[in-house]
Amino acid sequence: MDILANLALGFSTAATPMNLMYCFAGVFLGTFIGVLPGVGPLAAVAMLLPVSFYLPPETALVMLAGVYYGAEYGGSIASILLNIPGTPSASVTCLDGYPMAQQGRAGVALFVTAIASFFGAMFGVVVMVLLSPALAEFALLFGPAEYFSVMVLGLVAASVVSNHGALRGIMMVCLGILLGTVGVDVNSGETRFTGGIAELRDGVNLVVVAMGLFGISEVITSARGATRSYATAKISLKQFLPTGAEWLRSIAPAFRGASVGSFFGTLPGTGQTVASFVGYALEKRISRNRDNFGKGAIEGVVVPESANNAAAQTAFIPTLTLGIPGSATMALMLGALMIHGITPGPRLITERPELFWGLIVSFLFGNLFLLILNIPLIGLWVKLLQVPHFYLYPAVIVLICVGVYSIDNSVFDIWVTLGFGLLGYFMRLYKFEPAPLLIGFVLGPMMEEFFRRAMLLSRGDPLVFLERPGSAALLGVSVILLIWAMLPGRARKQKLA
Amino acid sequence: MLKQRLTGQLGLLAILAIALFFIVSALVTLDLGTARRLGPGAFPLMVGGLLAVLSMIVLIQNLRTEMSWSAPDWTALLMIGSGVAAFAFLTPVLGVLPAVFLSVLFSSSANREVTWLLRLCLAFAVAVGVWVIFLLGLQMPFVAIRGL
Repeated sequence: MDILANLALGFSTAATPMNLMYCFAGVFLGTFIGVLPGVGPLAAVAMLLPVSFYLPPETALVMLAGVYYGAEYGGSIASILLNIPGTPSASVTCLDGYPMAQQGRAGVALFVTAIASFFGAMFGVVVMVLLSPALAEFALLFGPAEYFSVMVLGLVAASVVSNHGALRGIMMVCLGILLGTVGVDVNSGETRFTGGIAELRDGVNLVVVAMGLFGISEVITSARGATRSYATAKISLKQFLPTGAEWLRSIAPAFRGASVGSFFGTLPGTGQTVASFVGYALEKRISRNRDNFGKGAIEGVVVPESANNAAAQTAFIPTLTLGIPGSATMALMLGALMIHGITPGPRLITERPELFWGLIVSFLFGNLFLLILNIPLIGLWVKLLQVPHFYLYPAVIVLICVGVYSIDNSVFDIWVTLGFGLLGYFMRLYKFEPAPLLIGFVLGPMMEEFFRRAMLLSRGDPLVFLERPGSAALLGVSVILLIWAMLPGRARKQKLA
Repeated sequence: MLKQRLTGQLGLLAILAIALFFIVSALVTLDLGTARRLGPGAFPLMVGGLLAVLSMIVLIQNLRTEMSWSAPDWTALLMIGSGVAAFAFLTPVLGVLPAVFLSVLFSSSANREVTWLLRLCLAFAVAVGVWVIFLLGLQMPFVAIRGL
């Protein structure tokens, strides 16, 4: 009954004309940006974050969430049509989606993607509705030591999944934490590491970091060789509906994909990419149709799509109930909440129920929009892919500049963004990933706060992190994860990628 | 050969330098506090220390196995960089729209196969787009063209 009352509250928030409109706008823009190869959900959310400052918090969050899962969906379109994943998590969809497109069944693949994504997302929403309140209640028992340790676990998990080894991931996390300490220390009021620059007193803005690391550096990477358009092959969209046998064959895989996805989505650090890989690998092992995998099997599209969209939804569970983002994109969402003066954490559900439940219900609307939007608009997305990249990247640069400038009307911020863009570009060249840096940057200040509070409560005894059972367990899991990641044999997973 | 090896390590050395910067300035300019009441310098010192240690470990690992790195694309870097710089320089001087126009001209020159006419058209179109979306649509408090 409680759930029904909460959902009713959610409906009353999400179904206002303004929220519906922004939800639609978010989903549409997200898909639009996600379709462009190389520009992922993170860059999409970062670009639209400044716009959301002008909106009330619920509307802002609804829109940004729409951008996020819209971009996820858009990424799949590029995967299927061009074999270029628009987002990393969509790269699994290439494996069977692209062969389907080559066989002239692109329409079917896109249709199935829309349906499987919708199903996965709804599954994820149900999990979120059932799990979040319980998790939040549990998290109320957390003290500062537990919070610190949960964050350690989140950061370790984020580094472990990075492509170039856990050690390099942790280095980036540390760098992010350090950059997050720049500015005034809230406890003592002292200014730290600003080098006497007045503009740095409030620290570096999250949008600036994200746009630089992900936006500008991605554009530099992809700017050249951009006269060609991506879609050169003829894409046939004559047929949309899968055959009856394919419908039947897809039901069980859709459930399996969504379950795997929901599970990995809730874990910090893993997210959609891992979810879709694991889902695909599992299905390949148990499916009766496994011989056709990689040659255009419909299950090969259904599973990763239902998994990554389920994970996209359940990733909100730790973000909203614990205040701990599982991925860099979620870190950005968390940042957006904090900019609106909302502290995410276990109290969010009870203190701002309209926000929490409204967001959940907006997922329902947003995914419905996606479904309705994408079946007739597939032709438009195909056209967009035929536009030479040359027209798009200067516009992306301008969008980044205007977006950053709109935060504070500050030119200084644009210079810092450029600095982070160069940093991000060189990091890529040296095989360091920007995502753990961003997560560290967001979590760093919170971690420091909880660390200092825990030390104060324990009267300066650092053993408190091991004496409290919850905290000790979390740290133990982090250590196990690290050891597992350092062991040889991880090469197998990378080969799959 | 030696030069190649050295450039391959530059990234790590830069990170090590950043870590040392945070460690030294935490020690010199900030109060570390006591174990019970940690000062503003303590946490950055710890994290900076960890980063320094890790970068040295990776550095030693790299000395044994050759680390691959990709050469930067200087043209793209310069043109995109100057596009962003143009926007930052010109916005306070000329206003947002001329800054957008020139920013597009600069950043689009990363690609040489495109004619100037096309580039001018693109720059104009993007400027109009910004005007419609951000100034008319979202009513952002920008100076469109200074002196107008």
